[in-house]
Amino acid sequence: MMAAATIAHLKATSPVTTDEEFAKFCEFFYRKTGIQFKDGKKYFVERRITDRIEKTRSDSFRDYFTMVRFDESGEELQLLVNSMTVNETYFFREDYQFDALVGGILPEIARTKPRVTPIRIWSIPCSSGEEPYSIAISILERWDLADSWNIEISASDIDSKILHTARKGIFSERSVSRVSAQLRSKYFTTRLDGDFQICEALRESIDFSLVNVVDPLHTRRFREIDVIFCRNLLIYFDDIGRRETVEMFFDALRPGGYICLGHSESMSRMSSIFLPRKFKESIVYQKPLSAE
Amino acid sequence: MDEMMGRGREAGANQPRVLVVDDGITMRMFYRSVLEAAGFAVEEATNGVEGYERLLAQPFDLAIVDINMPKMDGYSLLRTIRNDPAVRMVPAVVISTEGGPKDVALAFEAGANFYLLKPVTPTELAEVARLIAGVPAR
Amino acid sequence: MALVKASGQATLPLPEPARDLATLLADLAAPEPSARRAAAHDLAAHPEAAMDLCDRLETEANPSVREVLFTALIHLQSSSVAVRLATLLRSDDVPLRNAAIEALQEMPDAIAPHLRDLLADDDNDVRIFAVNILAFLRHARAPEWLAEVVRSDPHINVCAAAVDGLAEVGGLEALADLEDLRRRFDGNAFMEFAVDAAMRRIRGE
Repeated sequence: MMAAATIAHLKATSPVTTDEEFAKFCEFFYRKTGIQFKDGKKYFVERRITDRIEKTRSDSFRDYFTMVRFDESGEELQLLVNSMTVNETYFFREDYQFDALVGGILPEIARTKPRVTPIRIWSIPCSSGEEPYSIAISILERWDLADSWNIEISASDIDSKILHTARKGIFSERSVSRVSAQLRSKYFTTRLDGDFQICEALRESIDFSLVNVVDPLHTRRFREIDVIFCRNLLIYFDDIGRRETVEMFFDALRPGGYICLGHSESMSRMSSIFLPRKFKESIVYQKPLSAE
Repeated sequence: MDEMMGRGREAGANQPRVLVVDDGITMRMFYRSVLEAAGFAVEEATNGVEGYERLLAQPFDLAIVDINMPKMDGYSLLRTIRNDPAVRMVPAVVISTEGGPKDVALAFEAGANFYLLKPVTPTELAEVARLIAGVPAR
Repeated sequence: MALVKASGQATLPLPEPARDLATLLADLAAPEPSARRAAAHDLAAHPEAAMDLCDRLETEANPSVREVLFTALIHLQSSSVAVRLATLLRSDDVPLRNAAIEALQEMPDAIAPHLRDLLADDDNDVRIFAVNILAFLRHARAPEWLAEVVRSDPHINVCAAAVDGLAEVGGLEALADLEDLRRRFDGNAFMEFAVDAAMRRIRGE
């Protein structure tokens, strides 16, 4: 029997996967989630696989991988996905897009839509909630017609753990650093541990859901959406993954609806079916009004 | 290219701006070289969608437009530009490999101001660019 | 008014059962573009429908449906799909033609055996489009084939497209062919510039 220290040392120094095993793993992960790992990510991925191997008390990568693939409950896959997705965000990130939302997109939607229908906004991936809550606060604070409309904000992510965090709505000082003192006192309560919690009314008003964008069963539930925020998700996909996800968003939007991408992203690398539009300082993309 | 030497570049705020929209990398580099020597500030786009995004983002005095490009071809880009009040006045020169009368007619119908056949000579490009952009003669 | 909670997943309708092949094929011609898109999307799981998808491309005018058709065909890529899509290179429909080029770039092993013929086509536009496919093809032999075009194609714009391709994917072994090309089109300012630019990129300057 080897000493525990020796085993730990072996684990630390020997590669977790062979090149072929790693390739198979990436292929499997891609098929399941649409997410691709670029070459530089091998270390990142292997660290997390090692972690899951230990947590599940698997004997080896092979054992672990077999277990994940044949686990009908999908639980381990979900935990694996949770560990792979990177969640680094804060309130009012890329705030020029919220400017575009309240100063340009929503006014135009209000001009073209029947008042009885709700305005639907979808934040995906929502991560720990900063984005959907930022959308909500921006609308309440800065859109003068907010009270004339029913506004539904849906927020989705593939990572169940982060969704749980989002629902709880507790944020660090760092996360709210761009939120003014006035808005903090209006929409947050300060906790004893120094964190900030979004007020219950806002937490209750956002519908959080677990969504894997490559799963039509999840995504076909979203229809007649007016605005989609999909920032910094598509960069993880390959060309065909991006095409398919963009096509899915096209179907989710009502004609004339909008999609906002991340700062360094552009439809020009992904798809021809959306029309670029400029609002304030942002380029956003519109599903043609005439499209069905 | 020797005739381009000796002509200084116009620096500063009044420098005319041209957007070059072509999916070919050496073509874009060639246009940049000629147009910078002719006094333009040059920006590039690799397809029609990117071209339209750039036109929306900043004012331009001229667009050079290729026809065959991924995502959005040159004719579609021209029609999109002419349909958009914010950018419809941008003059556009089409530079394409296809010189048949039908192709030329299509380009003008879509909204081109001028048509050049590839490969262009530096003089042709510089003179047409300055003419269509309305840059005063030197 | 203002923020209202969207109805949760539990209250949404159950997903419809998967449609059979015959229904999907019929829906390719449905009046609503959304129905046609959905049919094209689901047909990506049916290799036997590949030719039907290609047929539909010839009559489908809606850009969003076309895009989904091409995505499905990229999934179903095969030699026969590549051959059908290659026929679109002769189309007068510019967006259709360009979308076909993009789709073929996504199926390197399927189109590779047919590129030789396309690169020898009588129509120089077809040869240009074939070179455009090559320039972004993730195939180990693309640089070699581009160099062959540079050596042997008589038409300046076909060669120019190949120079562009080599600027993207060419290696040091292409330098001699590029130098010869410059000599062949001696006096042409564009070609001189393009070859120079490509050579500098290949050398990593």
